[in-house]
Amino acid sequence: MTESTMLVRRPGAMLRRRRTEAAGWMFVSPALLLFLVFIAGPFAFAIVLALFKWDLLTDPQFIGFDNFAALFADPVLPQVLGNTFVFALASVVTHIVFGLLLAIAVNRVVSRTLNYFLRVAIFFPFLISWAAVSLLWKYVLDPTFGYVAQYGAVVGIDTPNFFTDPAWALPAIIVIDLWHTLGFTFIIMLAGLQTVPTELLEAARTDGANAWQTFWRVTLPLMSPTLFFATIITFIGAFQIFEPIQIITQGGPNDATKTIVMYLYERGFQAFDMGYAAAVAILVFVIVMGVTLLQFIGRRKWVHEA
Amino acid sequence: MTLDLETGRPTASTPGPDLLTRIDRAPRRHRRTSTGSIVLDVALAVFGVVMIAPLVWLIVTSLTDPSAAFPTPPSWLPIPFSLQNFADVFDYMPFGQQFGNSVLLAVICTAGSLFFSVLAAYGFARVEFRGSRGLLVFMLSALMVPAQLVIIPVFIMMRELGLVDTLAALWLPALVNVFQIFFLTQYFRSIPRELDEAATIDGAGHLWILFRMLVPLSGPALSALAILSFEASWNGYFGPLIFLSSPENMTLPLGLVVLQNGFGAAPAAVVFAAITLVVLPVLIVFLLFQKQFVSSIASTGLKG
Repeated sequence: MTESTMLVRRPGAMLRRRRTEAAGWMFVSPALLLFLVFIAGPFAFAIVLALFKWDLLTDPQFIGFDNFAALFADPVLPQVLGNTFVFALASVVTHIVFGLLLAIAVNRVVSRTLNYFLRVAIFFPFLISWAAVSLLWKYVLDPTFGYVAQYGAVVGIDTPNFFTDPAWALPAIIVIDLWHTLGFTFIIMLAGLQTVPTELLEAARTDGANAWQTFWRVTLPLMSPTLFFATIITFIGAFQIFEPIQIITQGGPNDATKTIVMYLYERGFQAFDMGYAAAVAILVFVIVMGVTLLQFIGRRKWVHEA
Repeated sequence: MTLDLETGRPTASTPGPDLLTRIDRAPRRHRRTSTGSIVLDVALAVFGVVMIAPLVWLIVTSLTDPSAAFPTPPSWLPIPFSLQNFADVFDYMPFGQQFGNSVLLAVICTAGSLFFSVLAAYGFARVEFRGSRGLLVFMLSALMVPAQLVIIPVFIMMRELGLVDTLAALWLPALVNVFQIFFLTQYFRSIPRELDEAATIDGAGHLWILFRMLVPLSGPALSALAILSFEASWNGYFGPLIFLSSPENMTLPLGLVVLQNGFGAAPAAVVFAAITLVVLPVLIVFLLFQKQFVSSIASTGLKG
């Protein structure tokens, strides 16, 4: 029955409709109010804040787009953006490749004990807080305490001083991130693998396809929606990497690990230059949005849509 | 969560298969143990050992007498065994209090956000008032906003309210969770509407339908969201770092970092014991409830 016939036929319909409307708003309004106060409001406020100079002590001062002008002229920005993109790209590639290969490899392990052990070993680090992970790995890679350097010495490899050597600090953070977050990608890939029908794999095999051909022609295309989703989620997360950097290197040595969110934290919550920090945050927002949009535009080229 | 291929939007789905324990489906039917597969199994086992090595090292070191910590070559057995490091943790940091703060925060964030999300999802999925679709899309667009952008104004707001260095600064903003609202809305929509109509004829009101019918029917979805929410708040670092400054008000992740590089930093072996105290409960809970942990990630696709 359409709304108009309801209005004509029943005298009480109008009232009932209004009541339904009111009930809907009543259920939604607590969350909506919180949303306006803690998300939408702050979002709008951050954009306005970027037009001001404010150290939280003296009065805010309107300076127009000066924060953005200063940001794009900031000598640290190219390095910071470069670090962030290098980290994000390395993170996406290593997670997707290792996550996919591990999911396929573990999926074929016959021994129940080994299979269970591998799933737990790969997934569990993901549940540990970044704080604990960062502190632990700070010691794992420590040149005197850490077992990596000690075993390196045994085999005759002089391991670098990972966190004080500008060439090694960012790669070290990439490895730590891989250890911590691989379990997430792994689980997503396992879930994706379950969507590949076993019949198709068997059909390919009876048709004489070898493992390599089956992987490229059947598994990979059927998993492309999962790969697409994992790529987006991993990129968005990696672009905003913060914890291990703040805890282990504080952006050093020589800004070698300073990423955009670490820089934002420095400007906003250590230097208390709130307007400038808001401008940095807006830049993060624009880049994340832009890259995600590009990925969606490019998806028709490679994502298999059933 | 999977991506809806038409709109490119994530769509909620029922929790996925139990990926961690259900392994019978996976391998081929005719299993031949070729040399190649044995080599691959051995390589995978070595990889697994390398993955857990940091954790074994952590626990072993924390159980070793402080005088013998970090021997050369590294030891993988706690010799001589001692619980001294654990006793020392309590001298260096207010562990009990920080543990309590972490629990309190996680419980409030989880229960609070789920409560408001359930209410809103009912409004969106079942009442569908004028403009509800537009409003849901508007709220969903917030998923694209990075947390760092919003936290600056929220920090200023909390400062004005005098809530800096209190847990309220952390849980108040966490009461609204757009992803939860969206996920539950989709889930409620998947429950047949005829149930509501039948209940209405029997005289049930909105609240009865929601809390006596839809909520009990949404057990898997709610527990998946609860696990993710609890884990996110239990492990959170960015928020506590910005809002909390007194050791007695801190949560465990921040407390750990301060223990390690703060004023009067603790020796490494004590830091190891503290990390172990934080990681061990997570490990135990995980081994007991792995099924739920894994399906919560697999079904929502959310990063913790």
